[in-house]
Amino acid sequence: MADPDLRQPLVARRLPGRRRDARGHPARPRRDRSRRRRAREAGDQLFALLASFAAQKGVPPAAVDAAWVAIKVLIVLHVILINGLWSIWWERKISAHIQSRVGPTYAGSPKGWNFHGWAQTAIDGIKLLLKEDITPAAADKWVHALAPGLVVAPCIVAFAPVLFGDGLAAANLDIGVLYIFAFAGISVIGVVMAGWASGNKYSLLGGLRGAAQIVSYELPRGFSVVPVIMFAGSLDLQTISNAQAGYWHGILPKWFIFYPVVGQLAFVIFLIASVAETNRTPFDIPEAESELVSGFHTEYSGMKWSIFFLAEYAYVLLGSFLLATFFLGGGASPINAAPFTLIPSWMWMLAKAMLMMFVFLWIRWTLPRFRVDQLMDFTWKFLLPWSFVNIAVAGLYLAFWLK
Amino acid sequence: MLEQIVFWSLSALVLLSALGVVLQRNAVHSSLFLGLTLAGVAGIYGSLGADFLFGAQVMVYVSGIAVLVMFVVMLLGRASDLHLRQVNERWTAALLVCAVAAVGLLKVARLHSATSVAGAARPSTREIGRLFLGEWLVPFELISLVLLAALLGAVFFTRTEKA
Repeated sequence: MADPDLRQPLVARRLPGRRRDARGHPARPRRDRSRRRRAREAGDQLFALLASFAAQKGVPPAAVDAAWVAIKVLIVLHVILINGLWSIWWERKISAHIQSRVGPTYAGSPKGWNFHGWAQTAIDGIKLLLKEDITPAAADKWVHALAPGLVVAPCIVAFAPVLFGDGLAAANLDIGVLYIFAFAGISVIGVVMAGWASGNKYSLLGGLRGAAQIVSYELPRGFSVVPVIMFAGSLDLQTISNAQAGYWHGILPKWFIFYPVVGQLAFVIFLIASVAETNRTPFDIPEAESELVSGFHTEYSGMKWSIFFLAEYAYVLLGSFLLATFFLGGGASPINAAPFTLIPSWMWMLAKAMLMMFVFLWIRWTLPRFRVDQLMDFTWKFLLPWSFVNIAVAGLYLAFWLK
Repeated sequence: MLEQIVFWSLSALVLLSALGVVLQRNAVHSSLFLGLTLAGVAGIYGSLGADFLFGAQVMVYVSGIAVLVMFVVMLLGRASDLHLRQVNERWTAALLVCAVAAVGLLKVARLHSATSVAGAARPSTREIGRLFLGEWLVPFELISLVLLAALLGAVFFTRTEKA
């Protein structure tokens, strides 16, 4: 272990400085030797613009930094909010077509353009805003009111290091993966609080099921990503994305999902565990409409209720972006040819994330619900052991194949 | 200056929520304050520049241990447990034990008070990994072994023998 070369990320050692050329981007003069510096360029240009404008007006640099942080926070917050509008509408259309219906059709402008009921979610949002906010008599008032906030706040915080394209992340954290998993796990406290504080036995059962399920599925979710971290040699999402640059024989992208067996197994385990973390249908026993009358959020109405769903869809988006970053090469083009490699990285990232989001919605409207014991057996006796095997095989790859 | 404000406000959060853990009558409220205390400790790690420790503390303690404590309180607690006074006539003895423990901790902390910390977060994951699998390999593996034994023991003792 005394090899000083180990300080370099493993894949970076194999691909010295070829990231941009491999993707067909025009080679730029390198301003700084560090990889992270180059990766930040997209955001840096915007920041330089802001800083030069502020310098002209005589604004102190500390204020510029604070404003820059505020801008990044607002952008990420709006990604989450607009994602709520978009993905709920999309889910309604997909679920309708899977069930041979047509879904929302009329909502929109009364006379003009009402393309597939595009305004349905916005109008539903207005309806939810106007609904009465009910706190049950048996509820624990404070805990009941705080629970939706505690579900959604960690989710927003967890979006900080999420990569929206090369160099497009609100925060460039060295512990990115750990940070996201840590904060995404806090939301379960809100679910448990909501279940308990409602003063309703069904809700309590829903909250307890939610705690057991999310704590259980966090383990395979975390361990399934360990091979990815081992291959990339870092917890930083940008480094993980960069490690997947290049093509085998000039054709097959070097994405982690294409690493034989390990990549596919990790992808499937991570996808299943991500669906389970969002409490969506094959794993929706905490809500289970037919047995628990929607479980932990039975006693919520109006905006408090909709905040639970804002958080649910934000976690779907988070899972989609993580799948795209960990396994689908981040912002890299799947085809090593001119028109595709010229498309900006954020478009590829968004396209991959939306593809994964479609998979999330597709799973929800296709599979029936697990029973509680099946759910627990599945994670502890199937997903977790196989994710351990996966880590061991990934170690063999590192020792013999990826040297 | 800013670091001082962050440190003292986080310390106040930790201490006040720790008081909440022991003084709240409702056991569920106590468990929620426990989560807040552990999160505040994570914040202190973060403000002292220990980024990996911050992530690990949030992941293991806040979203793991605190959730399990809440789970147990809600699953096993009877309605009467939720409104007990948490302080009985032995509170002076408990206070003495706490004082002795606090003085002991203070003495230990004084020994290391000269150790300077990096204010800003800097990547520490790689160094921690190298130390775990290099210099501190034997203690690391011993702790792993102890934890594995605890895990197996928990499974063994909670198993109900079925005929």
